[in-house]
Amino acid sequence: MATQRVLPQSKESLLQNYNKRLKDDIKSIMDNFTEIIKTAKIEDETQVSRATQAEQDHYEMHVRAANIVRAGESLMKLVSDLKQFLILNDFPSVNDAISLQNQQLRSLQDECDKKLTSLRDEIAVDLYELEEEYYSSSYSQWDTTDLPLCEAFRRRDSWASSDSSCSSTQGDQEYMDGAITQEVNPTQHHLNGHGTTSGDKP
Amino acid sequence: MANERLRSLEDVEKEIATVLQCAGNIVLELSKDKQNASFLDRQLVQFQSSVNRVESELSSQIRYLTQVATGQPHEGSTYSARKDCQMALNRAEYAKVKLGDLGRTCEVMLEQPQHQQQQI
Repeated sequence: MATQRVLPQSKESLLQNYNKRLKDDIKSIMDNFTEIIKTAKIEDETQVSRATQAEQDHYEMHVRAANIVRAGESLMKLVSDLKQFLILNDFPSVNDAISLQNQQLRSLQDECDKKLTSLRDEIAVDLYELEEEYYSSSYSQWDTTDLPLCEAFRRRDSWASSDSSCSSTQGDQEYMDGAITQEVNPTQHHLNGHGTTSGDKP
Repeated sequence: MANERLRSLEDVEKEIATVLQCAGNIVLELSKDKQNASFLDRQLVQFQSSVNRVESELSSQIRYLTQVATGQPHEGSTYSARKDCQMALNRAEYAKVKLGDLGRTCEVMLEQPQHQQQQI
């Protein structure tokens, strides 16, 4: 599965550079530490006086310790660069992250819309009653061409019942009577509508 | 998953710190007049294992990147799903505003007859 792809020169050289840095830093840490341990060995025969040798050994250990720390710091920088490269160029994981995010956003949107739809259904019921109350009161100022919601529902129900059964013709007539009387006497329509519909509904 | 790779790189960072810590402890122990041999052995073993782990983990990450990386930039985005979600939240907010208005209107209308009755 791991076929060798022809990478662009920049990416390939970048990855080779990472490899080189890794090898160099690990080698630096190991070599410098080994040399420190070797230098720590006390030798009886020295070419210069003991104080001078001690001073030299001290300075050498200091430099090698600094080299180890520098190599460690360079390795941390390498890890940071690898993280950056991974985030930008690791396409399988980027695709996974994008699809997961899309899935979460879509589920949130669906949940929001579902709740809005259920809210709409609940409010429609209350709005029906409110409109019925309002348009049958003496405060309403609607014109006959503009159907209120309750009237629209009643007419839709009457059309549906007339299609399904013939026993509702009396109900239709009473609906029409109710509609006619609504213009004349709005307050009575409320009672008539409730009285007739409760008896005529199958 | 990318998170696992990033977490393993963070573990590598901790291992590098362990390497330096072990090296320092070994040199510190060697500087004493009387050294604890078992402590030195433990620290040395930990130093070597940490160095090997760092090298192997970073090599495997670089190998994986060599296999996976292309020269192209990634052009995927979550913009459309985010926009749709934002619109859904806007719809909900709008419905909330409208319901608030309706509620206030009903309260105002309910207060008015009470005022009229009080005036009478």
